[in-house]
Amino acid sequence: MNVLTVNNISYQYEGSKKNVLKGISAGFEAGKVYTLVGKSGSGKSTMLSLISGLDICKNGEILYKDADLRVIDRDKYRARDIGVIFQSYNLLTNVTAVQNIVLSLHISKAPEKDKKSFAYSLLEKVGIDRETADRPVLKLSGGEQQRVGIARAISHNPDMIIADEPTGNLDRDTEAEILKIFINLAHSENKCVIIVTHSKKVSEIADVIYGISDGKIAFHKQLPIEKNS
Amino acid sequence: MYILENAFNNVLRNKGRNILIGAILFAVIVTAVIALMINTTTSSIIENYKGRFGSEIRLEPNMEKVRDEAMKNSTDGMVRVTVPSIPAENYIAFSESEYLQGSIMTASAGVICDSITSVDAELGGGSGMMMMGGGAGIEASENTPMQFMMSLQGNKLAEFEAGTRELASGEMPDELNECIVSTDLAESNDIQIGDSFTFTGELRDMAEGIVQPTSYTLTVVGTYYDVTDEYAEGSAQNAFTNRRNEIITTYDTVVQEIQSGMNGIKVAATYYLKNPELLDEFAAEVYSKGLPETFDVTTDKATYNKIVGPVEGLKGVAIMFMSVVLVFGGVIIALLASIAIRERKYEIGVLRAMGMKKTKVAFGLWSEMLLITLLCLVAGLGTGRLLAQPVTDALLAGQIEAAEAAQDEQQSNGGMMLRMPQQDTAADAEPLSDIDLSLGLDTMLQIIGIALVLASLAGLISISRITKYEPIKILMERN
Repeated sequence: MNVLTVNNISYQYEGSKKNVLKGISAGFEAGKVYTLVGKSGSGKSTMLSLISGLDICKNGEILYKDADLRVIDRDKYRARDIGVIFQSYNLLTNVTAVQNIVLSLHISKAPEKDKKSFAYSLLEKVGIDRETADRPVLKLSGGEQQRVGIARAISHNPDMIIADEPTGNLDRDTEAEILKIFINLAHSENKCVIIVTHSKKVSEIADVIYGISDGKIAFHKQLPIEKNS
Repeated sequence: MYILENAFNNVLRNKGRNILIGAILFAVIVTAVIALMINTTTSSIIENYKGRFGSEIRLEPNMEKVRDEAMKNSTDGMVRVTVPSIPAENYIAFSESEYLQGSIMTASAGVICDSITSVDAELGGGSGMMMMGGGAGIEASENTPMQFMMSLQGNKLAEFEAGTRELASGEMPDELNECIVSTDLAESNDIQIGDSFTFTGELRDMAEGIVQPTSYTLTVVGTYYDVTDEYAEGSAQNAFTNRRNEIITTYDTVVQEIQSGMNGIKVAATYYLKNPELLDEFAAEVYSKGLPETFDVTTDKATYNKIVGPVEGLKGVAIMFMSVVLVFGGVIIALLASIAIRERKYEIGVLRAMGMKKTKVAFGLWSEMLLITLLCLVAGLGTGRLLAQPVTDALLAGQIEAAEAAQDEQQSNGGMMLRMPQQDTAADAEPLSDIDLSLGLDTMLQIIGIALVLASLAGLISISRITKYEPIKILMERN
């Protein structure tokens, strides 16, 4: 059963005649890690924008639990149903790490009463201690900011986690730790994890790989789950 | 709730920008507080004086019309200008108008008394008539008006109310044929309370050449101190016009000798309208009841202007200043809000990407503006209240100075004017030089309203910007 289904979507940017996506179809299930791989300009980031509800496609449809993203409340979808991890983190820079998480919990109307304690525990889970959590985001390293981004994405317990080049700015050790978190989220917590990447190493952790080239699915590879566990 | 909490934290976080916006808001609010306090207080003063002066009606001879009339009627080249009078019965008839809430009648007559020597008697007497043109070689004859040495003033109590005259001994005249005299006159003639004197005067019909003697036997019931100027500004100086020679009596005493169609006893009345708007209706009624066209039905505009003019000027200055500050302040706040939103575009993009609705983002930004406004409102109300009084005093002093300078200039350019000195109360009136400002609930609500409008203006700009921002575009630009 797909959590998210992409049916024959095409997309072109305003003022451009070129289709960035050309009739892409794909399905995404819970409990699996997906990677969308391809070269720069292949259309994978555009696809991420569409499936994360930040943009809408005019042709084709994207169904979240059988509901068309064009019809549903996309703000609510972004706030509660998915967690997005951006390559450049996109954290609120004028507040602390923990405040970023608390704000996300408020926006998603998370049920936790003591949101701050919950935020601390989440950050601890991704390797951020309390002292670091209380520091302004701009005083954190790239790896720490990415961990805060992951904590924010999973704070409201979404069904899907969508990550855009999540390890692009990180060193090898941090990359490995973060990838471990993604695998764990999919296999232990039954989340659907979609990672956009052009890194071969990242793509290798996936259960399913979609290769995108020139706006089309160039290949679709399903790998045995045991390999990644 | 978290939006308000976040807004509060943001106000503290972005100090530089918020201090800048706050400083502008503070200046606008302080100006609004001062201007509105001035406006409210001066409006109430102006309304009060409008009610008083706008309701107070006088029937005054228009001396230019009187002179024109006299010149028209002159047959021998000599123009005899006699101050016209209104028959007492007419005054009574006018006072019955349904447009009035009340009236005060006064009467005066020139007299002589053989047993009293007037103050400044050596200057001679006066007739109360003005002679113009061809006057040379007039000989005393039956037609020569009597030269009065004193005047009877019926019910003339304005100076007592103003404090320039005060009862020195005895009591005020109340009954028919009772009078009081000035202490100067009493001392120079050894007049005692209880003394009786016979005063004589005359009534004249200038057209028919009829002269009718009058006689009053009055009992002195008191004396009064007098600190008024002995002579009214611009009047001839003789015993008749000397104010120390005014015998204060009752209105009924003076008019008891009045005869229809005869001049010599001058009656004046001040009528009080129920509403200043009824002036034209009242004027039409009194003309129809026989008021000559040489009389004007007027309100005391000159006194009103002298007293209230600077206050009106102050009000105008305050409102104009506030309007300018509001417009410029509003534009600056709008610009700052617009710049602030541009600066915070990324933050808005992140919040929207996290799923926060546009309305909530806008509410958050508006709340921040509102918090800044509330802080400025509290500080502005306090500061404005402290500054309002000294600012008002300084502005009012400037207005009074300007009004006086304008008046001096007008007088120096004005040339010769025919005036009736006794009725020129504007000359004695002092402009309001002291205004006690107060910050009432109405004014506070107006200031809060202005502050909210400014905050909302900035909020509206934020909202209009936010509706144009798409999170994906903001984040793509940033990345």
